[in-house]
Amino acid sequence: MPIKVLAIAGSPRRHGNSETLLDWVLDEVRKEKDVVVEKISLDEADVHPCKGCNACEILNECVQRDGMDVLGPKVTSCHVMVVSAPIFCMGINAQTKAMIDRFQVFRSRKYVLKLPVVDPELKGKRLGVFLSTAGQDWGHVFDGAVPTVKCMFHVVDIPDRDIHYLMVNNVDEKGAILSHPTAKRDAENMARDVIAAIRARLEQ
Amino acid sequence: MIVKVVGLSGSPHRHGNTETLLDAFLDGTRGAGATVEKVILKELDYSACRGCNACHKDGNCIVKDEAIPLFDKILAVDCLAVASPIYSMGITAELKGLIDRAQYIWARKFILKTLYFSNEHIRAHKGIFISTAGQDWTNVFDAAFPAITAFFNTIGFEYYDNVIANQMDRWKGVKNHPTALAEAREKGEKVVRDIERILEEKEEKGE
Repeated sequence: MPIKVLAIAGSPRRHGNSETLLDWVLDEVRKEKDVVVEKISLDEADVHPCKGCNACEILNECVQRDGMDVLGPKVTSCHVMVVSAPIFCMGINAQTKAMIDRFQVFRSRKYVLKLPVVDPELKGKRLGVFLSTAGQDWGHVFDGAVPTVKCMFHVVDIPDRDIHYLMVNNVDEKGAILSHPTAKRDAENMARDVIAAIRARLEQ
Repeated sequence: MIVKVVGLSGSPHRHGNTETLLDAFLDGTRGAGATVEKVILKELDYSACRGCNACHKDGNCIVKDEAIPLFDKILAVDCLAVASPIYSMGITAELKGLIDRAQYIWARKFILKTLYFSNEHIRAHKGIFISTAGQDWTNVFDAAFPAITAFFNTIGFEYYDNVIANQMDRWKGVKNHPTALAEAREKGEKVVRDIERILEEKEEKGE
């Protein structure tokens, strides 16, 4: 069975710094055997914000019909879920936050309705990757985003120990990441590590 | 001198816990003599920041929608209350969508240097963050603070205080919370009196 990698590019700016970081990871992943990669740009995915209606706690599905109908099953059936997002104003950008808030349906399924969120054979065999870039050079610039990212992965059965992070600060204007001294190499190393880790899990 | 207050409700659903807490705060400010306007973000037509950085060149946003007149309104008041429930350990996408759009104001301050807020200005402009969360964790608001801090800083407001209440699930709504609504009203009154005092001092100095 091939390793399914789902990549979500959360930035409204196509081919900017966070998406470039994602592409570096995916290019390396594609060199591996038996890996299928699907990349989705959230900018084109038509995912609206959560209405906060809590209907999913009863219905086990969202009342909204939009791009989440397509994205949701991909999220729950992949082995590796990679999300890239820029930091805007000390937090994850609004479009990515909108998608994460729509994961409420998975939270309801897991914690309220106590139903399985992912296929039983995938339990413990999923990894998450969060890639981010920020213009600011502050070390703490990602601190507001990380708890939200953890929530996102937790509700789709990817616990803390299975989340990998690569977060690059001090890259603002489009293309700035191309002259970063280590980002590309770090992305490629991470890609190899993640694929090796998921292979080990699947062989267990 | 009448203190002007705007309250932004960032919740996607009307009259829930967060908006109720905002209402209590605004009641407090009204009781202290302020003029008050409440803005429901989900009823406005604005899109999220495109991240295009065009504003870094001329200080203007290329997206012309209802976010821009709202920022004009925000920059003209003395007190801004920003309200959002906590979803996935952060503020809602609606509020984050608006906050991200303030990038053009940030660009005027930090890149073009055409906008400057003096310490006196910042002292006379107070920002309050209002929030509720279902979780009983005390750290449930922590990841929201950096974006709120950055927003108030960008628009020249002092981050004056929080009106926050967790454990909404336990109390079955803010209306049953033992202290939250009273605290919100008290803080509303207090901030207006504090701003009045600052404005009177300025008047006495002939500013």
